[in-house]
Amino acid sequence: MTINRPGKTKDEAPQQAARSNRLEAGTFPYMLILPSIAVILLVVGFPLLYSLYVSFTPYELLRPNSLNFTLGKALRNYEKLLNDAIFWRSLGNTIIFLAISVNLSYLLSLALSQLLARVTAGQSILRTLLMVPMMFAPILVGMQFRWFFNASVGLVNNFLYSLGLIQAQGQIAWLVDVPLGMFSIIVASVWMNIPVLTIILLAGTLSLPAETFEAAEVDGASGWQKFRFITFPLLAPFSYIALTIMSLDIARAFDIVRIMTDGGPAHRTEMLWTYITRLSIENTKFGLGSAMSWVTVSLSVLFTLYFFRQLVKARIVR
Amino acid sequence: MLIRRLFFVILALALLITVAAAQDEPQYAGLDMDLSGITIKMANIGGGTYEAMYESIPIFEEATGATVEIVALLDGFAIDQKLKVDFATGAADYDVAWDHTSFVAQYTPFLLPLQDHFSEEELAPFSPAILDAATIDGNLYLIPRHADISPIHYRKDLYEDEAIAAAYMDATGEALEVPTTLEQIDHQARFFVENGHSTYGYTLAGRDEALNGRFYEMVFASGGAMFDENWEPVFNDEIGVAVAEMLHGWYRDGIIPADTTSLVWDGVAAYFCNGDTAIKLEWYGWYAYFQDPNNCPAISENFGLARGFTGLSLGGDAVRPSGWAGAHAFSVPATAPNPQAGIQLIKFLSSERVAYEEAQLGYLPTRDDVWDRVIDDAAASDRSLDRERLELAKLQVAEDFKTPPLIAEWIPFSNILYPKVQAIMLGDIGAQEGLDQAAAETRELMADAGYYD
Repeated sequence: MTINRPGKTKDEAPQQAARSNRLEAGTFPYMLILPSIAVILLVVGFPLLYSLYVSFTPYELLRPNSLNFTLGKALRNYEKLLNDAIFWRSLGNTIIFLAISVNLSYLLSLALSQLLARVTAGQSILRTLLMVPMMFAPILVGMQFRWFFNASVGLVNNFLYSLGLIQAQGQIAWLVDVPLGMFSIIVASVWMNIPVLTIILLAGTLSLPAETFEAAEVDGASGWQKFRFITFPLLAPFSYIALTIMSLDIARAFDIVRIMTDGGPAHRTEMLWTYITRLSIENTKFGLGSAMSWVTVSLSVLFTLYFFRQLVKARIVR
Repeated sequence: MLIRRLFFVILALALLITVAAAQDEPQYAGLDMDLSGITIKMANIGGGTYEAMYESIPIFEEATGATVEIVALLDGFAIDQKLKVDFATGAADYDVAWDHTSFVAQYTPFLLPLQDHFSEEELAPFSPAILDAATIDGNLYLIPRHADISPIHYRKDLYEDEAIAAAYMDATGEALEVPTTLEQIDHQARFFVENGHSTYGYTLAGRDEALNGRFYEMVFASGGAMFDENWEPVFNDEIGVAVAEMLHGWYRDGIIPADTTSLVWDGVAAYFCNGDTAIKLEWYGWYAYFQDPNNCPAISENFGLARGFTGLSLGGDAVRPSGWAGAHAFSVPATAPNPQAGIQLIKFLSSERVAYEEAQLGYLPTRDDVWDRVIDDAAASDRSLDRERLELAKLQVAEDFKTPPLIAEWIPFSNILYPKVQAIMLGDIGAQEGLDQAAAETRELMADAGYYD
């Protein structure tokens, strides 16, 4: 329907309507996402910026007057962190934990997903069973593995003792010794991570085109060759998505670390998350804790950017 | 006629006996105010037998017309964190908060001073040592609920075996007696382990503020201190180093469990309960648990209690009995919507009657009148240790009760010191070097907090 407005010629009207449509087409999508942007700015942006401000102050939780920005002392928290041996140790531990936990979880999940993709009977039961670890809150996973690795009454030492591999029940202090403390935490974390990774990789595997595999079979490709040259490259986008999610989600391991070792003993298993909590809440040094949180967030962003770049590359290759 | 008179005499006597008996009953307090329509919110410690006390609250509600709403039931460390966050954000909208002598100094700007709300008569029954610990800069911030202090726990069979005693005499030249000093504990613990009489000689909590407290206790019992009068850290002196080296030696030689640095109270209790450890210094609260043969068949009826040890002899005349202590208590936040109603509820919960009921669960009372009652009750027990335990506890609370320094920095300081003590125990660092590092960090903490000019 066309409506002719008074004072406008027949030729001008369609031109104006077209311009109006172009304008609407340009702004309308932004109008639609405006509420989301507003909410994100309010819920994510404001706290982030506020915590950035706090990180430049000596703010202590129970000293409200300490929330003062002084230009000369703005970088004091960051200077403190740079000179804090425990911060560097916790950063190192976090990177080690992240690297081993994510990669080990990925490798095991990849293997599991390939096995599950080939199961012909009872696949739904296996998938359901696989998801059991996802049903536990991380805090419960921490409690469970703390008991497993308890030196005196733990399942692992009890098992080793019954096999005659150790002479006394309390001989191996899993949560104390280096590197057993980190090892125990990584085992718990991997156990918790595997289901979600496996589900993503399984979905990816089942979505791969069957013709490619049929062609490879005709060409006489072995099972390993099919995995190495077809499945693995084609799964790359799924792998990067899974690894990105896992890298960001790994902070859920905070509960596990908190319950199993609380970063100890003597900071041997200290991670950025446990140290931030200790500084911010227990020691009430909120400014210092905020500075450390910003360092952590920056690292997470770098990781995410890296994985997204790889994801884009993988899609282009595909 | 005579029968009628006799009847009235008997009736009068019965009435007198009833009145006297009623007066002898422990009494509630805080029920004399009409609080109809008021909802009193409480943030409380929960778990285990802590919650039994709250079962008496309906009596308070019925008598005053108030409604009591418990808004949090958390363990001590969790509620400490909740209070910090709530105070900082102005969200402490409750009228009564759980508190502790070790934590209260952090919260004082956010708490209501209570000295003007409790009469001298109301405060008189409480132990003066505990009220002192509840008073900061002349302001009373806590009303005590129950006390904590630790006696030595020891396995009796080890001390009653003549063959072990003779072997100990041969090995050390000392008589095997229940230890009274830290050096005796060291000698005996080593002997028991090295000769296979006990898996471990000693057990202690090895993490968090618990380790800090145990280290503090060994240091002050040896005549040392954490800080001097100017709040300069001094725990890295020869006494502190000697204590730290002793702990390292115990860990290195297997005198204490390999997972000591993972242990807090329940873990320590488990080792003693299983009969795996010969001696430990631990809170009284586990007594009923240890005596129950269903829980601890290895040590039920087979353990004794003794006053806390005196410290290492290098402290000379300054050595004193251990007695790191504290008290669970109640506070009123300054932002409480109904502070007067909250105070009435605290009067009720800290009354002789409620305190007596809680003491019957095994907690140490903070009121002298309750002490007398529970000691009298224990006298009727077949087990002599029931009464001895309470008399010993009363003595320790009266004479050995020593809180940590009542400063807001105690917990941040703990978080500096305990990992260093752990590192020393585990052999990651030498005792002197580790304590020097902790002292330097502590000095920075105290300087930031404005303790030095």
